[in-house]
Parts: sequence; structure tokens; C-alpha cells
Amino acid sequence: MKTASELNFGERAIISDVDNSHPSFRRILEIGFTPGQEIELVNSSSFNDPLAFALRGTLIAIRKHEADCIILS
Amino acid sequence: MKTASLVKLHLITLVGPPNSGKTTLFNQLSGKNFKTVNYPGSTVEYSTCKIQSKFGIDADVLDSPGIISLNPNSPDEEVSINSLYNHPEFGSPHLLVATVDASQISRHLLLAKQLIESGFNVIVALTMNDILAKRGFEVDENKLGEELGCGVIKVDGRSGRGIDKLLSCVKPKLNDDEIKERNSPHKVFENISKEKLLGIYKEIERIEKNVIVEIKNINAPNLLQANEKLKILNPTLKYGSNRPDELTLKIDKYLLSRRWGLVFFFLIMAFTFTSIFWLANPFMELVDELFGYLSTTAAGFLGHTWYSDLIADGIISGTGSVLVFLPQILILFLILGLLEDTGYLARGAMLIDKPLSKIGLNGKSFVPMLSGFACAIPAILAARTISNRRERLLTIFIIPLMSCSARLPVYALLIAFLTPPDKAWLAGIALAVVYISSIIGSLIVAAFINKFNKKIINAVDSSSFILELPAYRVPKIKNVIRNSFENAKQYIYRAGPIILVLSIAIWFLTYFPNHSPEVNTTGLSHEEAVHLIKAERLSTSYASDLGKIIQPVMSPLGMDWRIGVSLIAAFAAREVFVSSLAMIFKVTDEDNLQSSILFAMKDAVNEETGKPLFTVPTIVGLIVFFIFAMQCLSTVAVSKKETGGWRIPILQIIIFTSIAYVFSLITVNLLNLAGF
Repeated sequence: MKTASELNFGERAIISDVDNSHPSFRRILEIGFTPGQEIELVNSSSFNDPLAFALRGTLIAIRKHEADCIILS
Repeated sequence: MKTASLVKLHLITLVGPPNSGKTTLFNQLSGKNFKTVNYPGSTVEYSTCKIQSKFGIDADVLDSPGIISLNPNSPDEEVSINSLYNHPEFGSPHLLVATVDASQISRHLLLAKQLIESGFNVIVALTMNDILAKRGFEVDENKLGEELGCGVIKVDGRSGRGIDKLLSCVKPKLNDDEIKERNSPHKVFENISKEKLLGIYKEIERIEKNVIVEIKNINAPNLLQANEKLKILNPTLKYGSNRPDELTLKIDKYLLSRRWGLVFFFLIMAFTFTSIFWLANPFMELVDELFGYLSTTAAGFLGHTWYSDLIADGIISGTGSVLVFLPQILILFLILGLLEDTGYLARGAMLIDKPLSKIGLNGKSFVPMLSGFACAIPAILAARTISNRRERLLTIFIIPLMSCSARLPVYALLIAFLTPPDKAWLAGIALAVVYISSIIGSLIVAAFINKFNKKIINAVDSSSFILELPAYRVPKIKNVIRNSFENAKQYIYRAGPIILVLSIAIWFLTYFPNHSPEVNTTGLSHEEAVHLIKAERLSTSYASDLGKIIQPVMSPLGMDWRIGVSLIAAFAAREVFVSSLAMIFKVTDEDNLQSSILFAMKDAVNEETGKPLFTVPTIVGLIVFFIFAMQCLSTVAVSKKETGGWRIPILQIIIFTSIAYVFSLITVNLLNLAGF
């Protein structure tokens, strides 16, 4: 099971699910990381965390820890 | 509470996600007249205004804080959401204008749909249509209106296009009969399930497919050009691509590069930091001179009476010590506003989030901490942008440790004592060392407080960092300037009265009871006589009594009551330490204040021990004391207001002042042992 935190730079993938046992899952869904959406890992900070994803025509930065609840297909 | 007899205007609340153009729209509606108010008992801020008379609608407008959905994720969001239903001061809105970014329609419709489903009276204002047009698409507003079951109007908040149309749609909605018939909105989203959320998104994605249409009319030359450009980059023009703005991606290749990102970040922040000093310096000197002039003029006009001294030394100098920081605060907010409006500030927060999260802070703590180098008061206010309560409180907690500019004159004097006057570079290095050690010191203290988080901060909130990185754009200078002035006004309102009252209180303590002492002034010039009277008055004042009470505390540091009095006086503002020392050591030469104080300091003898008072150990000890001590009472007051109680400010006083004392004690004694 691959999560969004394991993407390589420039790699695209489709979200299959969001882990609803994660404390931030609702906010992750609300900001637009929903199943069926394509995301791309575009950037990260120099410390490799947080990560910036392209999603629904914008860039969203989230911590690795939060990217872990985004499950990819 | 407003009296019921007043005719209450209709209330329109603007609501929308962050970066949806809500505030730009508010500025169009308000023109120049608006005020910022706090939600009672919290730090949630609202702007409110009457709609400009040229629009011909008599209604109040409330600009609410940006929210993503109706499901609160933090205490502040809960306040924002609850106030949509019933704001304690303004009541419930008669109409909501929900802003939706047309280029982000699939994300921004979530909130609009939730609002409509909850039964609010909603009109959707569709913003950023130009960005969508650049991609060759537009939203069919009629279709979207049918799908949502509410009015949808395209507006351009920057040029003001569409505002008239929006308001012509608003007018009939504010019809009293219709308002009476509506049921009050219900709360349904308290604990929305994942399935329900995904259901709303499915619906939104269906709507999106229906309402986005390709722009047919490409006769307009600039549109044609835009389309051609886009086709080169993206040959199959097709909606639904998740690619953000191409230019933004290109700029981010540099500014967010993993190798150079931090370098750019530190360059930009170093520029911001240094400009607080060099850009503001001439203005600060101007303010200083102006109030010095006013003070002397007033004293000369009123003669030598106690009330002339009160007006000149207490009130005018007190006002001056508030306003002297205004240039710095304006410049700081101007630069930060520009950085925010271009879209960089969100990226800065992302770059620095990781190291700050290690000590329990957040990437968003960085800007408040940086502001703390100018003045802690606007810095504490800036911490409002941190949504996580625990992280916000921790940030506020450590802000007084940032070396604010009021400490600069103190450090300058103390360092000048330590370094030979012909080696200015040495003083520069020493000052840098002081700043760096104060940064390291405050980070260690933050880490320590984070460890005892439960006992000190007393707030649990799961840490998260979810932040949209908006597309880069040219900042709107007018709005940035307006916000800077608003922030400066906030500083004067909050810090002004406190600093002024304290200045007067400290003036009183240093002036009475022996307000007209008898001294032998024969053979002295008028000026010298005045200064001698001042010095005599101070050494027999209540302040010196206080200083003598704290003598036992000062002795272990190798200092006597005279330094103690100066430290007490510094509670009004830290830089008062210098002028207080000048008074105590009877320095009369105002043109060359620093060198004369230095001269007097070299001669000063500890009244208890008979040894020199100012030695390398005591001077370094004083510097250490100023690095840590929570000495500014205005900061205490603002901290109380922003944290919602006395708990944190009192802990700040106790913890920081004990750290300052203990570290200073250790420093003085270690240096004494080492034979300095």
C-alpha cells in the first residue's frame, strides 16, 4: 500500500482512499485530497518535509505525517 | 449591546475559504471606512463596514475569517463558524455572500454547498475569473446558479467589475418579508462523516463538469494570445488538468529548490530583518528629535513647576517612546504584507516548518518571531495566523525572548563600555554575538517549555501543517499599505495607553516626594544646575526607596540599588534604562550622552563594597539579564489579552525573569572567578 509521502518528485498518482483513523483526515479531505483525484509531488522543503502537491489546479503543502493518510492506487 | 430602538441595518456577512478573494471584495464594498473588531473573548478578528453610499444599499458588511468548511478544526474556527449563525455583537446575518474562486471551483464549492444546505440565505460571488480565462475556460454562471439554487455573480475584486451586478442581486434578497419567512439555518455538519463529505464532493465534481465551458469568443486579441501561449505549453487544451499555474511552477523551481530554497529564504528574511533597522532608523531619529524638541519647548513655556515637568518628561516623552517604534512597525508590516501578497510567505512557512516543529512550533510561527525583533507587541498580534492553539500559545510565550529593538540602545551602551572606542568593528561583532546568543537562548527555552507543555501552555491540539501555496502574483500595493496602517493603528491602541500610563507612573516615582530639592548651585550654569536638581531629586525619590528595597537581590550580582532603580524604570520601556542611568549618575552633557555616561560609569563605585560598580563581569551580567528578562509591561498586557487570561503572562514574568536573574548571577560569578 503506497501513500502520498512515498511519491518521487514529478511522479503522479491517483488517490484511492484516505485513512479515516488519522487525526487530520477530515481536513485532508476538505482541502481536496479525495479518492479519484490525481496528485503530483511537485516540491518539498529542504528538510524533505512538508511536501507540496499539485492538486485540483493548485499547490497544497502538507507534512509527511499527513501525506501518510493519503492512500494511492 | 446596541439599543433596540436604533434602526438596525441589514447585515451581510462575507464568507469564503482563505485566498478566495474575500477581503479584496470587502475592500471594494467598504472603500476607506472600515474597522477591525475582535470577537469577544477571543483573537478571532472581523472587519466591518457600511456599504459605500455610492452603491445605494443601506447595510452593514462583516468580513469573516477564512474557513474551509463548516466543520471546525480548531477552537478559533469553531468561533468563526458559530458566529455565522449568531455573532454576539452583530447578530445573525440576513444574507451571506460566499466567495468562490472560479479557478478553484472544485475545492471552493464545498463551503458554499454546505452553507446553502444549512439553510443560509446565500449569494455566490465568483472571483478570479481572469485566471480561469487564461486557461481558456469560463464558468456558466446561470447554470451554476440553477445547480446550487442561489444567485451566482462574477466579480473582479481588483477592478471592481461586477460589484454593481452583485449588489443589484443583493437588494431584493434583503427584502424584509422574505427574511421573515426564512427559517433560521441549522447546524448539520458538526461531525460530518467521511461518506457524507465524499458525497458532497461527487456532487460538486458533477456540477463542475456541467458549468465549466470553453471560451468560444476568442476574438479578443489578448485572449487569443493567452490561448496561443497556453497551447504551446499544453497542446491539448482540456479542462480538468491538475496542473497549477505554469509560471508559479517555474518560479518555485528556484524559490522552493531543495538546494537553494533555504538560501533564498534566509536572504529574503535577512533583507526584511535588516530593513527594519536601516530603513526605519532615520524616521525613528526624526520622531525622537521631534519629541525631544516638543518636551524642551513645553518645559521652557511652562517654567520649572512640577506640572511642567509632568507634561514635558511624563506625557510628551511617554508619547514619544510609543511613537518612536512606529516607523519600524510600519516598515515591517509593509514588507511582510508585500511578501504575503506575492504568495511567498506561505512558502517561507513551509520551508522552515520542519526545524520549528522539532521544538513544538509551526512554520507559521516564523513571521511572528521575526516581527519580535522589531517589537513584541505587533509580533504577538501576528501570532493570530497560527490556527493551532497550542502552537500559537507557545509562539506567544517565546516572543518576548526575541531581541526587540528597545534593547538595542541598552546593548549599545553596555558594549561600548566593554570595547575600546577606536575599534568599532569589535563592538559590531559583540552585538552580533548578543543577537545570536539571544536567538539560541530563546530556542533552547522554547524547547524546554515545549517539554513541559502540559504544565505551562496547558492546551492540547494535534499539530498539523496544511497550507495552500497560492499562485504568485503582483502584490496590490494599495491593500498592503492599508493593512500596514491598520496594524500600526492596532499597535498604538494596544501599547499606547499602557506605555503612557507607565511612563507617567515612573515619572511620579522618580519625581516625588522630594520634588524641589535644595542643592548648592552657586558657580554652575543654569543647565548644569537643572541637571543637578534632577539627579538629587531622583536619589531621594520613591524609586530610589524601591531600589534600596531590592538591594539584597542586586548584591549577589555585584550591583547596587542604582542599577536596580534603572532596571525598575526599564519596565516602562527597556531603552529607559539608559536615560535612567544618565540621571542617576548625574550626567549633564546631553549632546554627548553616551560618552559622558560611560565616563561616569567608569568612575562609579559600588556603595556597599567600595569596589568599582561597572566591571566586565557586571556588564556582561547585565547584557545576559536583558536578553532574557520579561521587562516590558506593555508586552505583558498584550500577552494577557491575546492568550485570554493571566496564566501565560504571569508565567512569562516568573520564568523569564528567574532565568535572567540566575543566568546573570552565574555569568557574573564565573567571570569574577576567572579573574576579569
